[in-house]
Amino acid sequence: MSTDDIHDDLTQRTENAPVELLTRSFFFLCAVLSVVTTLSIVVLLTTEAAKFFSITAPLMNVEGATASVVDFLTGTTWIINNQQFGVLSLVSATLLITLGAAVVALPLGVATAIYLSEYATERARSVLKPALEVLAGVPTVVYGFFALVYLTPVLELVFPSIGTFNILSASIIVGIMIIPMVASISEDAMSAVPESLRQAGYGMGATKFDVSTGIVVPASLSGIFSSFILALSRAIGETMAVTIAAGAQANFLNPIGVGTVFGVPIPYPDLSVYLEGALPMTAAMVQLRTGDVTGGGLAYRSIFAIGLLLFLITLVMNIISDIVAQRYREEY
Amino acid sequence: MATDTDSQQLDGFGRVSRTAGVAFRYLILAATLFGIVMLGALLVYVTAQAIQPFTADPGWHLTFFLTLVLPTAAVGRYIYRRNPAALGFGATAVGALLVSLMFAGGAAMVFIDILSPMTWFAYVLALAVSAVAVVGFERLDERLPFVARLVASGAVVALAFYFIPSILLSLPIAIIGWIIILLTLGGGVAALVALRVARGHGRRRGAFAGVAAFLGVGVIALVGPFAGIDPLPAAVLAAISFVPTASYAALTAVERPEKRVGLAFTGTVLGGAFLGAAVVDVLSFAGPDSWVDWGFFTNAHSGTAADAGLYPAIGGSILLMVAVAALSFPLGVGAAVYLEEYAPDNRFTRFIDVNISNLAGVPSVVYGILGLGVFVTYLGRPMGTVLVGGATLALLILPIVIISSREAIRSVPEETRQASYGMGATRWQTVKNVVLPRAFPGIMTGTILSLGRAIGETAPLIMIGAPNVVYDLPSEFTSSVSAMPLQVYAWASLFASEEFYQQAVPAGVVVLLVVLLSMNSVAIVLRNRYEG
Repeated sequence: MSTDDIHDDLTQRTENAPVELLTRSFFFLCAVLSVVTTLSIVVLLTTEAAKFFSITAPLMNVEGATASVVDFLTGTTWIINNQQFGVLSLVSATLLITLGAAVVALPLGVATAIYLSEYATERARSVLKPALEVLAGVPTVVYGFFALVYLTPVLELVFPSIGTFNILSASIIVGIMIIPMVASISEDAMSAVPESLRQAGYGMGATKFDVSTGIVVPASLSGIFSSFILALSRAIGETMAVTIAAGAQANFLNPIGVGTVFGVPIPYPDLSVYLEGALPMTAAMVQLRTGDVTGGGLAYRSIFAIGLLLFLITLVMNIISDIVAQRYREEY
Repeated sequence: MATDTDSQQLDGFGRVSRTAGVAFRYLILAATLFGIVMLGALLVYVTAQAIQPFTADPGWHLTFFLTLVLPTAAVGRYIYRRNPAALGFGATAVGALLVSLMFAGGAAMVFIDILSPMTWFAYVLALAVSAVAVVGFERLDERLPFVARLVASGAVVALAFYFIPSILLSLPIAIIGWIIILLTLGGGVAALVALRVARGHGRRRGAFAGVAAFLGVGVIALVGPFAGIDPLPAAVLAAISFVPTASYAALTAVERPEKRVGLAFTGTVLGGAFLGAAVVDVLSFAGPDSWVDWGFFTNAHSGTAADAGLYPAIGGSILLMVAVAALSFPLGVGAAVYLEEYAPDNRFTRFIDVNISNLAGVPSVVYGILGLGVFVTYLGRPMGTVLVGGATLALLILPIVIISSREAIRSVPEETRQASYGMGATRWQTVKNVVLPRAFPGIMTGTILSLGRAIGETAPLIMIGAPNVVYDLPSEFTSSVSAMPLQVYAWASLFASEEFYQQAVPAGVVVLLVVLLSMNSVAIVLRNRYEG
């Protein structure tokens, strides 16, 4: 090979050689696809929801698309066949289930994270972490079946008045489902706390308990909070478990009871709503696709209106979680 | 710890109550175990419901206890004392056999009912022709410019896939199914075995091992009918399960003599299982009256729970998985390569970055309506087909594939890249020759785990209008599809009755979980093997 050939070989494959251009643009397009996905979700949901609101407005005897949005967001009756689209009854069920799941998952998840990051031996970790992965990997339809067929009868022994479909069992099962998420993100945050901080604590005579609760947890608080928000956003979007276990009847659940003490109305949290069945947002979307729902185009479009609301709620939560994790992170 | 006065501080100095610490320790341990134990209990219960172990004769239990459980425990304990790694090897061999048998069963089902061996042969031939052409054009590297090579390769590939299947399938010849499987799958496995053996033990032995593997598949296909299995499924089982597992066991036994003793464990388990089955057969002890029986795998849905089966749903899940893998793997890895190797650190890249992590948090049901709105309503595809379902699920797992692939790519040491650039390699050459091969196991692990997630998803399939009840297997990518979790949902909610709750649903749940757990275990084994 002469020198010229070598020179050719060396210059042939520059950054702008055809093969380089081709591969680079392919990889770029792959990355852009994610942006396209987001855009199409946003555009699709808003246009279809806009169509929904422009149809419902005359039906509800209100004028203009905005008014129907208000009715959609503040109405408490959801009966498609009556063309009543008050999404609050769905939102109330979703929020109550999320709240219940939070009561189960947040303490258990943080405790799990502390155990895994501070206490567990290498061997215990090698057993517990895959077990938690299994917990996260079980399909949600299986969780729903467990809640409906195995958990509800057990709950019935404690609360005889509980319905076949109830949001208590849905809350518990969704809570168990999101434990691994809380645990793994919180544990990552706790493992990122530098060893020197712990050693400083021990050097001051602190016990392991003091170091865990007094140093590691406060230092990783931003990570723990961001795991909370992410897990709750997952609970809000959870579909199959609540569809199977929570019920099929839209039901506005008002968790605030009003009792009177010496004639003065005092609000108190009325937890008996957890024994009733209700229709969460995601379950309503599934029902609109499977059940015998008349209403034609309207029923179809209402899916997108709920979907938009769901998407916005989860998106806002994810962004908040991101901000919490970024902004309030203690840099070491 | 904080104290009010000096004297208290002095009194308490150096003495700390351990109660709080110990209580806390056990409290968080209990919290850690709560979810795991609760799920474990539910899983045991649902498995018992599905398998009905107590309906078997006591003699059946006794026989298997004596032939399988007792010897396995004794041999396992002995080997564990001598060399724990050997026990790990023996157990891995058993696990590999079981998991590969399961996947081979799925593949056999595809070849029997979905994809006729002749069609398969035609496409494999087209693929082989195009592969040879592409490699051939690559060899002309020096003489032809890249664009010409690209166009020529593209033309050959298009022509091969357009003409070879149609010509071959219109010819009045039909090759016997199992011979096709022997040639394609058996040949592929033989080539892999030969390459692997040749790498460590020289070419001659490699060729010898390859021929042995090929003959092994052929012999099993011929012997199959004597064991009651048709030659076609026997060939598939041999090519996907028996021969690879045997090769793995033989290679490890040769290369790691200290682990050889582990094979005794494998032998004990398999021998015990066969002996037990034979004894039970001779003494005619009835086995458990399980709901997960042969009929459950081969029947379609039925109104009575005892006759209901999962066959169309299994086929649907397999096709969906193929579609999802084919779509999400290249796109996800491509995006990951761009973000890790090419992307400049600017605002757009950061936007993509944030966007992907947000997409990972979008509920699956929203992806479902995305599929419904975009693929069905706007693009006019028919509802609930394999293609629409696969595309929707692929979009759903794409962020996870991207994130895990990025992690795998990031873990490739920077020095290897610098070395490659230092040799004068371009970016694409570095990606192709250095980064991707190194990151491949990690990428595979992430992809398998996300495929597991896709297989368990129900909501997106409901949203795109997949039918609740399908009686036939989907025969192509445009036929409507059911899937295992969807069928379980249909039984649990639309056909809700005590009968279904106690029979069909537990059986479906057990099958679904076994598939998912074996996929996860493959991923975890891959991860452990290449991480350490």
